[in-house]
Amino acid sequence: MYPQPVERLVTELGRLPGIGSRTAQRLAFHILRASDEEAAALADSIREVKDRVGECERCFNLADRPLCPICEDPRRDDSVICVVEEPSDVLPMERTHEYRGRYHVLGGALSPIDGVDVDDLHIAELYARIAEAQSSVSEVVLATNPTTTGEATALHLAAALRERSPDVAVTRLASGLPVGADLEYADEVTLGKAFAGRRAL
Amino acid sequence: MVGVPAPLKTQGIVLRSLRYAEADRILHLYTPDLGRVGAIAKGVRKPRSRFGGRLEPFFHLHLLLHRGRGELMTVTGAETVAGHPALRQDAGALDAAARACDAVARLFETSEPHPQVFWLLANELGLLDREPGRAGHANALAFRLKLLVAAGIAPQLSGCASCGDAEHLIGFSGAAGGVVCAACEASGFALERDAHAFMADSLGRPLAEAPDAPERALRQAERAIIETAEHHAHVRLRPALAA
Repeated sequence: MYPQPVERLVTELGRLPGIGSRTAQRLAFHILRASDEEAAALADSIREVKDRVGECERCFNLADRPLCPICEDPRRDDSVICVVEEPSDVLPMERTHEYRGRYHVLGGALSPIDGVDVDDLHIAELYARIAEAQSSVSEVVLATNPTTTGEATALHLAAALRERSPDVAVTRLASGLPVGADLEYADEVTLGKAFAGRRAL
Repeated sequence: MVGVPAPLKTQGIVLRSLRYAEADRILHLYTPDLGRVGAIAKGVRKPRSRFGGRLEPFFHLHLLLHRGRGELMTVTGAETVAGHPALRQDAGALDAAARACDAVARLFETSEPHPQVFWLLANELGLLDREPGRAGHANALAFRLKLLVAAGIAPQLSGCASCGDAEHLIGFSGAAGGVVCAACEASGFALERDAHAFMADSLGRPLAEAPDAPERALRQAERAIIETAEHHAHVRLRPALAA
């Protein structure tokens, strides 16, 4: 129906998560109407991100140099490592302004049933970071998602770290009620965890 | 005027949950009335979702499902029957539950209802929640043997599946569909007495009273289960235990 390049653009945009065929068509027409500079800037940014962005050598966060900005920052606290599943989990943690330690990105969560095993994640590298002779790590915060696979990953890491590095404290992000939510809508497992993790005021 | 179809009310167990789009999840559910069902839960990954954590794997739920135009139903309501919180605190029990759900998904992948499979899975998850230490090879194999019965492909254990002889049962043949005698063993593999007894006892007892057996016997029993599922249901079951 459309010229072949437009069809191709619609097809490619339609491959993006959350983009259906109607939205892909709208985006394609938006790009067609945009100025040459705007369209070229979009194309260049996609090419640049693919060419230049890789994984941080130390923590596996996104990086356009050997180390990511967080690993390069000398003001960060070396004694705490926060373990997350994906690079996209780092940003929400940073937005809290509560955490000033380092990160370690696993690259997913353990799910042997889906073929994701210990060797498929950056777990050995986490152990190596903690075991380094000059390591000053005193706490590992397990911030995997509170999903079934995230919990399984946290349980596995906690057991392994207790055995390998008994002097390192292993903590887990608290689970509970979202701020502003109504108790009556809370599910039983979340409410149970919130109750178990209650604190004195 | 065309009315909006009423939502379907059913119980269901979440077998699997896959991230989809911005904040949705696609669920593989097993229900007593509709067999295996695919459903989408919209916005469930947002912290303020009204579903909360209810749609995570292994939850046993009362569900409201809306049938739309596509293949997937939409989850419009969910109330917990059992959340299995203790199971979620034990790595072994979590893995066993995932493998149990995977076996159900593989052996019963259609919408044909098998209420006995639903209740068997509900019992297994309940058992793993009450006694997470139960998670192990013997429990996993007893569960799979009962699944084979529900699928109508229970292995024959009382006599040779090839010639009917009730004596000298020393092997197992997936192709023949059960134990085989010395004369017919060429079509199968060696199955020792402990493995044979384990399989027969597992089928004769409730899950909570399933027997144990030496590891060597359990490995033979697992091979028998896998070959039976392959030959008679054309399904490749995943190993019952993590490597």
